[in-house]
Amino acid sequence: MPLDYRRFNGPDDSVSYKRFTDNYLKSYDELYEELIDKNSRRKDGRKLDEARSMCMFFARTDLISQAKGSAYIELKKTKVVCSVFDPREIPHQNEFSQLGQLYCEVKFAPFSCVRQRRPHAPDAEERALSVALRQALEPAVCRHLFPNYQVDVFVYILEHDGACLAAAINAAGLALANASVPMYDIITACSLAIIGEKVFVDPTEAEEHLAIMSPDTEGTNHGIITMSMMSELKQVSDFMQIGSMDVQCVTKVMEILEKECETIVPNIQKVLVLNVVQCFNQRKQLEAEAKEREAALNAKMEEWKKILNAG
Amino acid sequence: MTGHVSIRLASERVNACVASGSELPRFYTPGEVISGMQDFMRGHGTYAEDDCLKASVAGVMQKVNKLICIRPLKSRYVGEIGDVIVGRVLEVQQRRWKVESNSRLDSVLQLSAVNLPGGELRRRSAEDEQMMRKHLQEGDLISAEVQSVFSDGSLSLHTRSLKYGKLPQGTLIKVFPSLVKRRKNHFHNLPCGISVIIGNNGYIWISPQKHDLMVEGNVDEIQNYDMQPVTRSDRETMARIKNCIAALVASKMMLDDTSIMFAYEESLKYELVKDLLDPEAMLDIAFLTQHRINNIMEE
Amino acid sequence: MAGLLLSPTEKVFILHGVQDDYRSDGRSNIDYRPMELETDVVSHASGSARLRLANTDILVGVKTEIDVPKPDKPDCGKLEFFVDCSANATPEFEGRGGEQLANSISNMMQKAYHSSQAFNLKQLCIFEGKQCWKLYIDILILECGGNLCDAVSLAVKAALFNTRIPFVKAALMDGGNIDLQLSDDPYDSKLLDVGSAPLLVTLCKIGDKCVVDPSAEEENCSVISLIVGLTGDRKYYYPKDADKQQSVESKCTTIGMNGPGSVAPKTLKDAINQGIVAAKSLDEALGQALLKERQQNIGIKKHSYGFLK
Repeated sequence: MPLDYRRFNGPDDSVSYKRFTDNYLKSYDELYEELIDKNSRRKDGRKLDEARSMCMFFARTDLISQAKGSAYIELKKTKVVCSVFDPREIPHQNEFSQLGQLYCEVKFAPFSCVRQRRPHAPDAEERALSVALRQALEPAVCRHLFPNYQVDVFVYILEHDGACLAAAINAAGLALANASVPMYDIITACSLAIIGEKVFVDPTEAEEHLAIMSPDTEGTNHGIITMSMMSELKQVSDFMQIGSMDVQCVTKVMEILEKECETIVPNIQKVLVLNVVQCFNQRKQLEAEAKEREAALNAKMEEWKKILNAG
Repeated sequence: MTGHVSIRLASERVNACVASGSELPRFYTPGEVISGMQDFMRGHGTYAEDDCLKASVAGVMQKVNKLICIRPLKSRYVGEIGDVIVGRVLEVQQRRWKVESNSRLDSVLQLSAVNLPGGELRRRSAEDEQMMRKHLQEGDLISAEVQSVFSDGSLSLHTRSLKYGKLPQGTLIKVFPSLVKRRKNHFHNLPCGISVIIGNNGYIWISPQKHDLMVEGNVDEIQNYDMQPVTRSDRETMARIKNCIAALVASKMMLDDTSIMFAYEESLKYELVKDLLDPEAMLDIAFLTQHRINNIMEE
Repeated sequence: MAGLLLSPTEKVFILHGVQDDYRSDGRSNIDYRPMELETDVVSHASGSARLRLANTDILVGVKTEIDVPKPDKPDCGKLEFFVDCSANATPEFEGRGGEQLANSISNMMQKAYHSSQAFNLKQLCIFEGKQCWKLYIDILILECGGNLCDAVSLAVKAALFNTRIPFVKAALMDGGNIDLQLSDDPYDSKLLDVGSAPLLVTLCKIGDKCVVDPSAEEENCSVISLIVGLTGDRKYYYPKDADKQQSVESKCTTIGMNGPGSVAPKTLKDAINQGIVAAKSLDEALGQALLKERQQNIGIKKHSYGFLK
């Protein structure tokens, strides 16, 4: 990979100082113990099947004024910005393509992760996330309406505390809707981590990390699943699984995911509707102001006319 | 429910070569001297150097009076007037279709060279020009006859007969054009109830036999008919013929209706059609077919 | 394959065939085309395999190197997958054309081999925290005739089965550094345990049903395919100690989707179950073929058939 000489690159073999802290040296079992307390609550006080979006779903649009549409989603410590730009002709392509294309790019902020500093150049994980994001969005967009055009979707992950792909898909779906790109359905996504018998809905980074780590005992299920859905159409647009788990587990978990994806839809709808209402109110206000101005102007005119007539 | 998977080892690889009865012809390689320059004329696949005629491609010699050509073994299709071909529409252009036909250049089907619905030869109006895509669109397969050859070697086709035109449901197999035997007839209704078009260009079309009821039907009816599912028995026979042709091609045997039918009859001893995908079974069929052909030749 | 064009009637024919569970060459929806396999084809690699599935041709070479283990996994070795789409396969791969495809395949493989239940990285450990083996698995796509993922995963498993890692004779501690002494004899080596290594199964959705091992025409009819990675069963590869272990159910190590379409949740579940059936028969056939080849070459120097017919 070509090195970027304009930026300061740390030495190749430098490691995070956290490696030498007690926290880091904990064994698998110790970490596992830490995740859930006696009341089967997670570290941040949620229940196992409680998504972060349930207690507090924070999202807004029009964060970036120069983009056609943009969205920001916050799931406690996972913070994602997404912007969608106007369709433009597909660069470097001479063949006509019947369907419009989506160009997706996911980028981590250098300081977004707990464990390492993210390099400036896109790494393998970011590229994989970009592909997954495109896979998730493509079926939802009416691509036949803008042939030979490309819509750019950029996602920037400011802070990563688990479920970043799900957050990215949610944000991108919201941004696309905000940019008034024609879509068949609202796209939502959810992810969960599986460690043994326990299913962590909407996992944090620590939970994800442990779920990916292979347990010592043979045959235990572990892994992460992310699924994105078009809830109205009941269609799965992307399904990503990593780890190792038996089929019963996958099918069982799919139902949970389906439900979770559906619960996010009203939240997204609310943001969109609020947007419209706000827009409408704004326009009404502007119109009222315009009328006021006109009335004032007319009054002035009358005054001047009177003066003119008198003079 | 279990899937069928077979993984063979390289050590069990079969040699697909089937010895034919006839003697092998002399084989020329590029740069090889064919003869002196004096008595002969230079044809395709040859060049002259130092008063000698040399081959420029690897292949066998063809001599017509004084003209010497070297015919390469693997080549794209070189069209001749009157050939029956199967081709695929690539593009709809002004008053013509571009057709992919396995030759070096794409072939052309003029709007004036097709039978439009309504039957008889009528003037092509501007309206017809706008309806071209309705008649044949990109991706459609057609059977056609070579009407003329342009100076650059590209072909002009026509479908001005009821037997030519758009093809219904079926499968296409692509083989080397040199494996197709030139015959008077390339449309065959095989006794097993399947019709086969062996295009001179190496495209072979297999479809269930057409029923005659729809010759004079209106367009919608034909379209409906085209979308009906093919019956299971027809499907099985088609798959069997497809695999038989693949077996013959793997052993580089010439294709015509007799060899295909022989191969089909020999293949009936394999009950399941998918067994014919096995290289050993393929060789077996090719060998038995060659044997039968040899027997006929002797008689 | 983007260059392929099909007429609507051909598509209808294929669609009805899949619905009928009888495809155009007589296969059912879970049948594979015949494959050909040879291991140990590359002389300078620790392990290699070549797999040919219809027109798809995959060559895999495994190179071993010594590396320092990752700090968070001191007792594990490393696996690295690289896919090269050679321009020999199709001119489209020329330059950077095949890069995206290559990335997605190597990504898929990396994810499938991630879990220790799929491939135990501890067998690549030399000295905990200091040194480990690193396996570079280079996958070369020589010809591409559809269904790449399945063929790649089969070839990789065969190559790993064939991989020999030299025994470490002695290790000297020299002020924190380790000096390893390895034997020069190529036969003084150990084989890897790859029984549970995962296989990828691509399920192509055509109509309402899914097919495995699609031909290029069938791939053209489908808008979405599902790739499922499933662990293998040791009993097919190490029948000698089969009585010791109970048969394990195969587990999903990775699932991914590919293509611009989407699927209904029910189809997804059915497809995963269909994938398990297919993976099981693949695994069994691969195990048989590999054991047979090993049996044939006991005592004699292996004759390499290579690429010549």
